[in-house]
Amino acid sequence: MGTVNPLGHDVETTWSALLAGRSGIGPNGLFDASTFPSSFCAQVKDYDLASQIEDAEEHRHAGRQCRFALGAARQAWAQAFPNGAGEPDRTRVGLYLGSGEGSLDFDNFTSLMVDAWQDGRVDIARWAELAFQRMDLHREAEQESNMVVSHLAGELGVRGPAYNILTACAASTQAMGEAAWMIRRGDCDAVVTGGAHSMIHPYGVTGFIRLSALSRRNDEIETSSRPFDLTRDGFVLGEGSSILVFEDYEYAQRRGAKILAEVIGYGASADAFRITDQDPEGDGAATAMRAALKDAGLGPEDIDYVSAHGTGTKQNDQVETRAVKAVFGARAYEVPVSSVKSMLGHLIAAAGATELITCILAMRDQVLPPTTNYRVPDPDCDLDYVPNEPREADVNICMSNSFGFGGQNNTMIIRRPG
Amino acid sequence: MADRRVVVTGLGVVTAVGVGAEEYWTALCEGRSGVKPISRFDASGFSSRVGGELADFSARKYVPRSYRKSVKVMARDIEIAVAAADLSFRHAGITTRAADAEMDIDPKRLGCNVGAGLMCTDLDELGGAVNTAVVDGRFDLKAWGRQGMENLTPLWLLKYLPNMLACHVTIIHGCEGPSNNITCGDVSGHLGVAESADWVRRGEADVAIAGGAESKLNPMGLLRQSLLGRLCTERNDAPAEACRPFDAEHCGAVVGEGSGMIVLEDLDRALARGATIYAEVVGAGAACDPKGFEVTRPSVGSLDLAVKKALTAAGVGPEDLGLLVAHGTAVPEEDRLEAAAWGEALGDRAAQVPAAAVTGATGLLFAGAGGVELATAALALKNQTVPPTVNFGGADEGCSLALGREARSAEIEYVVSGAFATGGQSAACVLKRYEP
Repeated sequence: MGTVNPLGHDVETTWSALLAGRSGIGPNGLFDASTFPSSFCAQVKDYDLASQIEDAEEHRHAGRQCRFALGAARQAWAQAFPNGAGEPDRTRVGLYLGSGEGSLDFDNFTSLMVDAWQDGRVDIARWAELAFQRMDLHREAEQESNMVVSHLAGELGVRGPAYNILTACAASTQAMGEAAWMIRRGDCDAVVTGGAHSMIHPYGVTGFIRLSALSRRNDEIETSSRPFDLTRDGFVLGEGSSILVFEDYEYAQRRGAKILAEVIGYGASADAFRITDQDPEGDGAATAMRAALKDAGLGPEDIDYVSAHGTGTKQNDQVETRAVKAVFGARAYEVPVSSVKSMLGHLIAAAGATELITCILAMRDQVLPPTTNYRVPDPDCDLDYVPNEPREADVNICMSNSFGFGGQNNTMIIRRPG
Repeated sequence: MADRRVVVTGLGVVTAVGVGAEEYWTALCEGRSGVKPISRFDASGFSSRVGGELADFSARKYVPRSYRKSVKVMARDIEIAVAAADLSFRHAGITTRAADAEMDIDPKRLGCNVGAGLMCTDLDELGGAVNTAVVDGRFDLKAWGRQGMENLTPLWLLKYLPNMLACHVTIIHGCEGPSNNITCGDVSGHLGVAESADWVRRGEADVAIAGGAESKLNPMGLLRQSLLGRLCTERNDAPAEACRPFDAEHCGAVVGEGSGMIVLEDLDRALARGATIYAEVVGAGAACDPKGFEVTRPSVGSLDLAVKKALTAAGVGPEDLGLLVAHGTAVPEEDRLEAAAWGEALGDRAAQVPAAAVTGATGLLFAGAGGVELATAALALKNQTVPPTVNFGGADEGCSLALGREARSAEIEYVVSGAFATGGQSAACVLKRYEP
């Protein structure tokens, strides 16, 4: 596994920060958001692609989200195949990511709308004249979200099936679920999976602000991400990439690979409710969780920890709580449920994969990451959210939830190896 | 549960040459092209000024009356997807939530997989707000944060998120099973159909609608393709003849807009309800080109590997194929690479298997292409007819595929359809004639 996120550029740094309850959230340093209703974010700090991969120059056109993914992918691959040992036939290696779009050339794109504005509309002929002068071929080409998969294929030499999906906040969990199926079907011996996203640009932030989805605690930035807390007021936009190498169990065993976890269940559903809101009963979320349990052949009593979607919006946290209760029954009050978005912010398409990595580490170290910034309990959210401090626990089987804007719900279940 | 068999029971096609499966098929077989001068916006500043544009199109016709308000928060791509999905479910004779009657399928057993591309905001929409934050002739971020952004409708972002194609379809039709949104360019439809067929096969859904939609027929879409140097700029005065896949006079791609959506169904369920079965999905494969990220270097994404895998999965060889549906971007170097890939995959048979490409009729549909190409394959199987390749006069050197100018009857048992995307992904599916 590998990761580049607001708390660190590798797995161990990130994990230490999470266990120390550190916040990756700060003032927006990527553009001047000082007058924005939400002026802060969780950005990746001081990242240098050249320190992560051998030939950064080859990928010089890669967008911001793609640069994170390249680093995370190389980390994951290097961990899976140290010094290239046991690397599979590249036609039997697939890619299945949930990656977002590349970096909009904001200044030029916006200047065109201003300079070609005429009588209340954009004069497209004038727009085109200026656009051909200002817009860069590579910058524009890198915005299609499949370019992340393309660059990773280049960095790792992959020739097998390659998918990219973008089911919003559910994307990387869904990617990992379908990646597991690619292996179960025998299409691939290994799949590079996970996600990448960077929406911390003026239009991305604007879009979420207009939807009233973002926290506006501009004067309490560090504690702004408060999943399940009564005073939560929205999510904090993060960015980053987390990549995992999934491998066929027999193949991994044969080559003596160090196995970090086993994927044992996956479920997906759609709310089919509204584009703006989740189904308030959480039926879709519950369906995904039940489907994952069924796929794993387990019951709620077998789950030791739930890594919540836990965005910190009024709606999600309430709906997710309801869904957990519907699925777990009485056990809902015993199973720990925490949200690392309290510290990382919301990495959108990359959230699920990042959270799965925290589950793997929780199982490795037998300790649960906390939900930080938890001060005021919400009567509608009354589960054990592992408030504020990490907790030692017996962790053998974890469930990770990702519920996308628009109602796409995905759940993955993993277990400790051995 | 033993693997179930998956069949195609409905087709929804929205293209410039025809809307609706039968209308599309008829137009295609008559050799018509829907490519015309672009009228949706002033294309005079572009060197390619023709496109496969949908005429008088709105999703309002394709949604329940109660949902018509929501069309206002749909980008063009979403509208097109919603239309194709509606057509597809009707074509399949499946009663979804859109109908005034009770659904005839358990919503939790109904999956949805709609491929999409990058959607750019409407420039006037964003421009209207942007231009309220101009200070001294330049856009000012502080003014934007303070009040400029308030002039954007609150749901603005939702108009342009790629997963909204699938989301609207799931809401309108009550699809509560797995729902995905593949964003792999021209390969999205094939990947989506392959994946959804697997959902049905492994029992996660009994029915799934899959395909994709896209419209790059807008200033940013056209700009990006122009910058890549892929577009035909020589036939603005003869638009219907502009897109000429594999032809000696091919001169570049023509941007189209459209969607293909396919209803995939468990065979037993289809038989039990007496559904019309167009084809069986018997194999799929995908691959990629590790150099695909070098976008200025044409690539077909290791299409030969994808095709070989699809044939192996289907348990057939090149000699079993009765039709090959090529992607046919009409970008000369891409056509040559594609033909070479088919040759690599099918050996001598590549130049003999009757072949067809539909871009001459529809323009290039990007995320909408796969669904339309697979719908074409299914219609060919049902009608036992090889469709013509519009604008094909004679193959360019290095493009030896057995394309034809006229529709012709043929015995087709297996069809292979393959595609590739900018960025280097490829995929192929094999469909088989269904005989009870």
